[in-house]
Amino acid sequence: MKKTPKSTPTVLSELELDALTELVNLGISQAALRLAKMVREEVILSVPNVTLVSHNEAIKILAERGSKSLVAVHQTFEGDITGRALLLFPEANSLELVRAVIGRDLSIEEIIELEQEALAETGNVILNGCLATIANLLHRHLKISLPEVLRGESAEFFNMKPPPESGDTVMFIYINFSVRQRNIEGYIAMLLDMPSFAALKALLGEFIHRTTGA
Amino acid sequence: MVKKKTEPQDTVLDAIDAGLIVLDHHRRIARWNAWMVSASGMSTEEVRGKSLVQVFPDVDLERLDAATIAALESGASSLLTHALHPLLFPLKTRAGRDLLHDVVVCAVRGDPETQCLIHIADVTMAAARERFLRDRQNARYDAVVESAPDVILTLDGDRIIRYANPAAVQQFGYQAAELVGQNASLLFEPPTVWTDVWRGLEKGDPSRQSVELVARRKDGSLTYLEVSAARWQTDSRLFVTAICRDVNERRAAEAALRSSEGQARAAALALADLNATLEQRVEERTAKLMEAEEALRQSQKMEAIGQLTGGIAHDFNNLLQGINGALDMIQKRIAAGRIGDIDRFVQGAIASANRASTLTHRLLAFSRRQPVNPRPLDANHLIGTMEELLRRSIGEKLRMEIVRAEDLWLVRCDANQLENALLNLAINARDAMPEGGTLNISTSNTVLDASQALARDVTPGEYMRLTISDTGVGMADDVQARAFDPFYTTKPIGQGTGLGLSMIYGFVRQSQGSVQIESEVGRGTTIEICLPRFVGDLEPDADAPEAGDAGQPPADNEVVLVVEDESVVRLLVVEVLNDLGYLALEADDGASAMRILQSSQRIDLLATDIGLPDINGRQVADAARTKRPDIKILFMTGYAEKAAASNFLVDGMEIINKPFTMDNLAAKIREMIQR
Repeated sequence: MKKTPKSTPTVLSELELDALTELVNLGISQAALRLAKMVREEVILSVPNVTLVSHNEAIKILAERGSKSLVAVHQTFEGDITGRALLLFPEANSLELVRAVIGRDLSIEEIIELEQEALAETGNVILNGCLATIANLLHRHLKISLPEVLRGESAEFFNMKPPPESGDTVMFIYINFSVRQRNIEGYIAMLLDMPSFAALKALLGEFIHRTTGA
Repeated sequence: MVKKKTEPQDTVLDAIDAGLIVLDHHRRIARWNAWMVSASGMSTEEVRGKSLVQVFPDVDLERLDAATIAALESGASSLLTHALHPLLFPLKTRAGRDLLHDVVVCAVRGDPETQCLIHIADVTMAAARERFLRDRQNARYDAVVESAPDVILTLDGDRIIRYANPAAVQQFGYQAAELVGQNASLLFEPPTVWTDVWRGLEKGDPSRQSVELVARRKDGSLTYLEVSAARWQTDSRLFVTAICRDVNERRAAEAALRSSEGQARAAALALADLNATLEQRVEERTAKLMEAEEALRQSQKMEAIGQLTGGIAHDFNNLLQGINGALDMIQKRIAAGRIGDIDRFVQGAIASANRASTLTHRLLAFSRRQPVNPRPLDANHLIGTMEELLRRSIGEKLRMEIVRAEDLWLVRCDANQLENALLNLAINARDAMPEGGTLNISTSNTVLDASQALARDVTPGEYMRLTISDTGVGMADDVQARAFDPFYTTKPIGQGTGLGLSMIYGFVRQSQGSVQIESEVGRGTTIEICLPRFVGDLEPDADAPEAGDAGQPPADNEVVLVVEDESVVRLLVVEVLNDLGYLALEADDGASAMRILQSSQRIDLLATDIGLPDINGRQVADAARTKRPDIKILFMTGYAEKAAASNFLVDGMEIINKPFTMDNLAAKIREMIQR
């Protein structure tokens, strides 16, 4: 694993990273509950770890997963922390996800027809769960946008305009999505600008202080 | 004071062609635009201040509630699409149709409180347009696929059926809706073959070879399908199109073929049965044919005997001459009281009588109706017993040489038929040599190799070879070619049936042997008969008595040369001459007579038989006269008429007809010498 480049001044401490992982897990499990109610099936979403990597490392990790073509559900958020959130799947898995979520047996045309909307909404549930839970726990109000479905190669997703100010750090969250005996792997990537990282670090500090009294 | 006034925002909201609901921070309806009134059929007044659950009691609002809470609490925007929430709200278009819609939930930050905006977008048109476009795009494809006689299935990467054409519905007996969503593996039996096909597809196996699979229909029956599958990808998703051809008919045809093969076998059996009865019928016919053949053989024999008659008569004359002469001598010796050596004459008479008896026996045996009875036999012995008869039948003009191989292999055949063959061939040879010649009969052991056997159309192995050759006129190629044809003859009408050689052919082939002709015009003909060797012993058979020969010493004064091939006659003549006091010299054929005549030996009289092999009596006489012009010549003949007709007698030549008495002969010789 490459070391975080020196140009990235903000590095979360181990404690802060643990707190963030816990927040994300809470958010994801909220999302799982929502999805479970939606599809009327048990949905398991798990987040084993959260890492901070550079853009290139994120691209490399995705490439190692063997799929260049990706489907992404993209949302932006504004507030004390500002940035983009991406739910990423290998493109081949997206139909799986749709089928898993829709549940009904539909013709391939119907699935393709619904794919875009279903992906957008599913991504929206997961990302909102994640972002809103984090915002709530940090007692901050964020303005979270509507989802947008993107297709392309991973490099494109990490170089969207406008770029976060001097931000090269990606919060990279591996996510395992399991429903109706289907197992779909994906990633959540959060791209923050530098002030947002600083803010996040501060907010995480507050959160740690509140919960532990430390 | 309640003052009802329309706020400017309301006018704007009402103008928007989308549903807008604003919830306050208690999630009660604050605003409800005109579009909502139209689509829901509920006025603003009816819904204001109520929660969504109160307005839409039958709607599952869990997800929407969560979205509104998230918007109010966290500022999160949510999307509820018609894909996952079809007809979330019971909304109608202005035409009264179901209104497809997407719902967006977002926060509206305000002072003093944050509100929640629910934005409902009509996607009916968009969805309809999409479907219409898709349908039009698919129309041609569908026309092909839907009317295809073959089953066409589209499967996704999990082998789940995503599309099934009408042929599939017909083939499997499931409704299209039942097929779609089902795992294709459940259709095929055994699944392993299908799994192999699938693995090949997953690997991108370029081989598009079709595989025969068995599928189970909804009603449980099996159907045979030839499946060819190809993978394709769209948006990097794997799909497989499987085309399944109904091969039940082909299989039925194959089964029919197999069963018709069975029928063919049954027919073959029936044919075998028929053949069996046919064989029986053939046997019956063969039996009849054999009867006819038997009759023919008999008539052949009679024909042969007819041809023999002349020779036989002559022969009998000779033998009777021997007997009479001997008895004459005995009478004379008894009268003269010289009984010391009459035993010789008695022996001579007995020998002649025996030979006559043998001849008669052979003739009778030959002409007798005898069934065909193949038995082991020694051809040499058979030739021995036939020799007498053969000599008679070919006449005295021809020389007959018999070469018998030592330790000749036995053969197994019908003796009578072989005799008949030999006799027929001898007669043919005789007829082929009107100017005289030699009839050679020889036997030998021979081993036919593969090519020799092939040429003779027999199996290779050990054979007894019998050849009968003459030095006669021979046969032209076309005659040779037809020689074995029944009723083919070169002889004048009435002198032969033309069946001789074909009978021989039949007999030899029946005995697993061969018969071949080798002939050259002007050089003669050789008939070769090969009969397979019989390994075993002879059956005991009564030997025919052999005729014995006797020699006679000379006398005094005048010398007489006696040329006679018939030894008994020669014996008698020599004896008479000795009795008369002459010195008698003997020759049993023309050649040896010539040698004596060529010598300086005194010879006063030549007594010769006319019918001699090779060089006849007349030729001997002519030669004698050349060397010894004064020599007296006495012809002895049984063919009186012929000799007389030839009218060749000149001075010093006399003729005496057989049978003659010894007295007559003595008188004749005495008369001639003393003249």
